[in-house]
Order: sequence, then C-alpha cells, then structure tokens
Amino acid sequence: MTETMKINIGPQHPSTHGVLRLVTELDGEDIVSVTPVIGYLHRGLEKSAESRTYLQYLPMVDRVDYLSGFFNSYAYITAVENICNIDVPKRAEYIRVLCMEMNRMTSHLLWFGTYILDLGATSPLFYSFRDREPLMSLFEELTGQRMMYNYFTFGGVRFDVTKEWLDKILKYTDEMPAKLDDYEKIITSNPIFLTRTKNKGILSKNTALKYSITGPCLRASGVNLDFRKKFGYSIYNELDFEPPVETDGDTFARYKVRIAEMRMCLSVIRQCVDYLKNNSGEISAKVNSVALKVPEGEYTTYVESPRGLLNCYVKSDGTNKPYRVKWRTGSFYLVQMLPEILKGHSMHDIMAIFGSLDVILPEVDR
Amino acid sequence: MMRDILFHIKSLIAGHFTVFKHSFKPAVTVEYPDEKPIIPDRFRGKHTFDENACIGCKTCMRVCPASAVEIFKDGNKKTILFDYKKCIFCGNCKYYCPKSAIGMSKQYELATDKVEDLKIEMGKKDNE
Repeated sequence: MTETMKINIGPQHPSTHGVLRLVTELDGEDIVSVTPVIGYLHRGLEKSAESRTYLQYLPMVDRVDYLSGFFNSYAYITAVENICNIDVPKRAEYIRVLCMEMNRMTSHLLWFGTYILDLGATSPLFYSFRDREPLMSLFEELTGQRMMYNYFTFGGVRFDVTKEWLDKILKYTDEMPAKLDDYEKIITSNPIFLTRTKNKGILSKNTALKYSITGPCLRASGVNLDFRKKFGYSIYNELDFEPPVETDGDTFARYKVRIAEMRMCLSVIRQCVDYLKNNSGEISAKVNSVALKVPEGEYTTYVESPRGLLNCYVKSDGTNKPYRVKWRTGSFYLVQMLPEILKGHSMHDIMAIFGSLDVILPEVDR
Repeated sequence: MMRDILFHIKSLIAGHFTVFKHSFKPAVTVEYPDEKPIIPDRFRGKHTFDENACIGCKTCMRVCPASAVEIFKDGNKKTILFDYKKCIFCGNCKYYCPKSAIGMSKQYELATDKVEDLKIEMGKKDNE
C-alpha cells in the first residue's frame, strides 16, 4: 500500500449546514477512513433547560433544528402536555400538523436546492428558494417570524388560522406539483446527476438498522418505517397518506424519496386545510402557561421530523423547571454512520453522498 | 450505447428547455434598501411600551428566556429596559403581558455601531 495522506475537510465548508470537520485519510483519491469531528455548534440546549422554567425554554427549542422549528416545538410541548394531562382541542392539533407538514416542505425544498448546488447545478437552487418563499411568507403572516416561530403553546396554538390564509395554501398546493415536475425534468434524468448519484454511497438495509438511521434515508434503503404511520400520533391516524419507499439505498434513491415525500406533504396539507375549512372549534385548552404546574413524571415523544426520528425526553421533579430535557435527533446518527458509507469512495464523492443525507449540524450538536 | 447517448441528449434538451421557460417568470426578490419588504401585522420587531397600562407585575421578566427585559418601579412610575444584545425576539413578553402594555412594532432595522444604543429604556420621558 502506498503512503496515505490526511486531509481536513471543513470545519468551514460551503456544503455543510453549519460546521463539521471530516478528517479524511486518502490513498491517492480513494478514501481509506473518515473521522467526523463534531461539537463546533454546541449551544448547551439540553443543559439550559434546567435553569429555565417550562415556558422560558419554549422559544429556545425552535433552535435545535432551525429548518424545522415546528417539529421541535411539537416534540417538547407534547411531552410537557402529557406529563400535565392537558387535552389539546382537535382544531389545534390539525393546525399543528398543517404547520409541521408545511415545515417539512420548506425543509425538503431547501435541501433540494442546496444539494443540487453541491453537485454543480445552479438554476434549481433559485427555483427551490423561489417556491419556498410563499410558505415562509405564510409562516410569517401566521406566527410573526420566518424561522423561530414560538407559535405552539401548552394546550394548543397561539393564533387561529383565517380563511384567507387557508386559501393561499390551497393555491400553493395547486401550483406546486407542476413545479416539482419541472424540477424532475431538469434533474432526475440529467446524465451528470445520474452518474454522480447512481450506485454511490449505498446504505444497505442492515447498516441502516444497525446505526439506527431513521427518516427518508431509512426509507430509501427499503425499510418502511414512518413514525407518523406507525404510532399515528396527533391526528395522523385520521389522514390518508403513504410514505414513499425505495429499495436501492443509494444517493439517487434518497433523492427520489424526498421528492416523493414533497408530493405526499402536499396531499397531507390539502387534507388538513379541508378539515380546518369545514370545522370550527377551540384552538387552545385553558392553561396558565406562566404559572404552569407540572406534576412529577417523565415522557418521551416520538416525532417524524424531516431528518428522521425526533425524540424529546422531559423529566419533571414537580418544580417549575424541568429536571432533565434530552433531545434525540436524526442527524446525529447520520453523521455517526459517515465513515461506513464513505469508505472506498473517491474524494469528490464525499459531498455528493454527505449532502444526500440532509444533515443539519446544529441539530447534531444541540 | 447509442440508446444511452440519445437518452442523455434528450434529457439535456428537456432540462435546458425547462430552464429557458422559467427565465420568463416574474421576479420574486425585493431590492432591499431601495424597496422595503411587506411586513405582516404579527411581525415581532422592536418593542413598544405603554407605561400607563403597565402594573409592574414583572411577568415579562419571568417569561423572558434570555433575561433581556427589566422593569423598574418607582412609586407610580414604571420604566422598562430592553437589552437588544440578549433579546431573541420570541415575543413571550408581549404574549404573556396581562395588560398588553408591551407590544412589538414592525421596526426591524436595529443595527447600530454603538453598543450603548442596544440598551433601550422606555416609558421614562413622558413621566418626567
């Protein structure tokens, strides 16, 4: 064997959302080993919960993963609600699911644009950001912010949705499938894209299960596991949807799963809007959030976030501050699996494979 | 082999045609400093304070996650101090104020080159 060379990729690299360092050992251009170094974005989100009240910690959870803030809010809030035995009105649950599915859409659109950019195509970036913008404006109109929403409250949601707002979403869901078709026309059969993604970074079913991979990456490897379907939390058991599954497990399969999931999101969004238009009701249970009394107990929520399973474990000791809050995020397990999936590939495949996993580094480090 | 090449050429032409089609779509960007974006009503910008409505219960201090707000009570006179170095604009102080004394305006251009300008005291001048 010839002499190997060590190369640092990152900590600052334009292809990573955040800061990740990969210590790569190369033999010529081939990867011998990869060691991910994480922790550059550690903000102590778990520890800071212990010095804040339940309500004070609420705006901070949006920042665990800034691209899908609603999922984090939902995971934390349902944990607290379950400890307190708060019943959430049905309309509030529908609004929450609607927001989460719209959030999944924005998250996947951002992934699509930046991932294709990593592979060298520029136009789709502008298209995906353009089509993400109406959703961000809708979020801003509803919650007041584009990313750090602080919209879910203990017992429901903060504001009710209006008919005009729902009409705007319906208009969006009508227009979007044609745009997704356009994306596929540019990308899915493009020869350069196919050469760079087909049979690259194969994640076998066993490896995926061994490393506890969840979310779209697992479904691209042929395992039909979706926690929305499996547990039917919130009102997901009343909705009609089928998570897309691919069997190849390569980079291209992960791309196809996410594109199909965007179409699925649109149908779920439409069902939620239909319900909200035809039914009225309370949007929040009566809860005194400022002086929230949380009895002793613990709870773990299971939420299917755009990047896999999101767990939030909350333990209460009966005081007004949580005793412990623990986050389990999908990205962490994907980074852990990187050495396995990158071994044997060429150096310029690193970003093509890493990008397809859709890792958000702030979520890894918390 | 020949079939592959033909398929590739076909897909490249289809891709280029789609990109060409999109170049005629209207622009969605706003040329920011000259043109201002439309701000929705619920936007959480710089705070406003109504010292006559405030009862000095200090709920805002209790719900703020970043300890960015402070209330000073001197008899009937109430003043509020916002520290924009710490504030994360979550809006908790506005949402949980029992008398709606704290509001949030649409003002978002808060950048300054003096660090003192980021500590803003409100409700003082009117009472003096």
